[in-house]
Amino acid sequence: MMRRLFSPAVAVGALSLAALVGVYWLLALRPGTNAALVPVPPKILAAFAEEIANGNLPTNMLASIQRVLIGFFIGAALALILGAMAGWFKWWGWILNPIIDAIRPIPALAYIPLVIVWVGIGEPSRLIIIALAVFKPCVVNARAGMQEVAQIYVDAARTLGASKWRVFTTVAIPSAIPYFIAGLRTGVSTGFLALVAAELIAAPSGLGFMIQNAGQYFRTDITIVGIIVIGVLGALLDQGASRAGRALTKWSDARKVQ
Amino acid sequence: MSDSMSRATKSVVTSAADEPFAATVDTNPPKLGVRNLTHRFMIGSPPSPLTVLQDIDVSIARGQFVCIIGESGCGKSTLLRMMAGLLTPSEGQVMHDGKPVNGVHHELGFVFQQDAVFPWLTVEKNVEYGPKSRGIAKAEREKLVAHWCESVGLTSFRKAYPKELSGGMRKRVDLARAYANGPDVLLMDEPFAALDVQTKGVMQEAVLQLWSATGKTVVFVTHDLDEAVFLSDVVIVLASRPGRVHAIVRNPLGRPRVEATRVSDEFAAAKRTLWNAMQDARKAGAIK
Repeated sequence: MMRRLFSPAVAVGALSLAALVGVYWLLALRPGTNAALVPVPPKILAAFAEEIANGNLPTNMLASIQRVLIGFFIGAALALILGAMAGWFKWWGWILNPIIDAIRPIPALAYIPLVIVWVGIGEPSRLIIIALAVFKPCVVNARAGMQEVAQIYVDAARTLGASKWRVFTTVAIPSAIPYFIAGLRTGVSTGFLALVAAELIAAPSGLGFMIQNAGQYFRTDITIVGIIVIGVLGALLDQGASRAGRALTKWSDARKVQ
Repeated sequence: MSDSMSRATKSVVTSAADEPFAATVDTNPPKLGVRNLTHRFMIGSPPSPLTVLQDIDVSIARGQFVCIIGESGCGKSTLLRMMAGLLTPSEGQVMHDGKPVNGVHHELGFVFQQDAVFPWLTVEKNVEYGPKSRGIAKAEREKLVAHWCESVGLTSFRKAYPKELSGGMRKRVDLARAYANGPDVLLMDEPFAALDVQTKGVMQEAVLQLWSATGKTVVFVTHDLDEAVFLSDVVIVLASRPGRVHAIVRNPLGRPRVEATRVSDEFAAAKRTLWNAMQDARKAGAIK
């Protein structure tokens, strides 16, 4: 599905981004602004090139991507399994629902002090924080999806002789997949949030470390490069999740957005 | 029509219905028997019991095409769901081949009023679903899928997803899926109610073809009198509030039934017989 390069949507989107950069540029050029702390766009581009050339940016990007992917898979896998069980099987619901509902209002970042004390400031604690952040939206959506499974499909499967387990795997889970995808997409953004937060605490590498470190040396140009890279990476991951979701739900006649 | 006259009609047709089948079924239990079935729902706040079905007692012989007809809300769908084991009656029971029905069973196939085709599976995977659930080997499943897709005219749509099909085609998938599972009895709950008149007519002929090709017993719920006349051997007329059997009418219309049958005098006469029984049922319901 190739979208034409100069479609109105792309053109307007590019103009809108260009306007944002333009406004920033004007503010940076305002008299009295400290040019060293509010770098103009060409300076940011130069910092970008510099960070690629000296290898800092690729190293930190890789560290962050690896971290967020591992944390994401741990958190998402646990969440989908537990959420699906809680939303489908009565007993699992009785066991898991109070726990899910109890952790629901707690922001994952609130666990940071506890995780640091218990697990230390090494890599595992960062993965735990990311996994926790991904877990919450995924588990809530997975459970909701299983609770919304249309009774008609369950009845149809049962009259065709499907066992309870087969109804779970071949009816409940497929029909809840759109919810799973919605949870995973929210999980990607909360995971990125947690990634940066986790890397701000004594991480030896990563984009969070990079922007923090640059900030300490007043290299705001590098900090801005880091922020933009985080944004682009997050958008790419979200697109990936959305594409995977569409591939899995190509049977759905729900309206396609984007 | 006067009350006494319709009551006379009822007794006459009932005995007429009993005779031809009595000879063949005499010693065996009926294919499907409903015994002293009563059902109550709890409704309102505070909850109070509402009797939806009362003292239903029906015998359905092997190979019969039986329509259950009655006003909206008379409990005909509830009765059919109980025959399938999807619902448990408050009192009484449903017997299949003389054995009580406890919960759903693959021998009691069901075709729903709503679109129940799994949208996440292709046509062939839908048709394969029942046999696969029962652990039938792949080679055998492949044969079943090929046969039943062919039977309903969907061979060229085997790889299509339901969203790519029309409403009528999706109903064909539903029928093929039910038949492919080799049920002993097919229970159909107003399966064509959502279709346009023309598609409905075509589907009725398709269902008659499946019925005569397989010889499987069919119980078909409908509120459409023409549909009942066109399809059935026997019509069970339910009265409302509470739902109860008002009459069991033998459909005098001969077979085979084709498109032209719908405009024949014979069809009109059969329809009149049924219409009279239903009017009578309506009055009985209103008085109560």
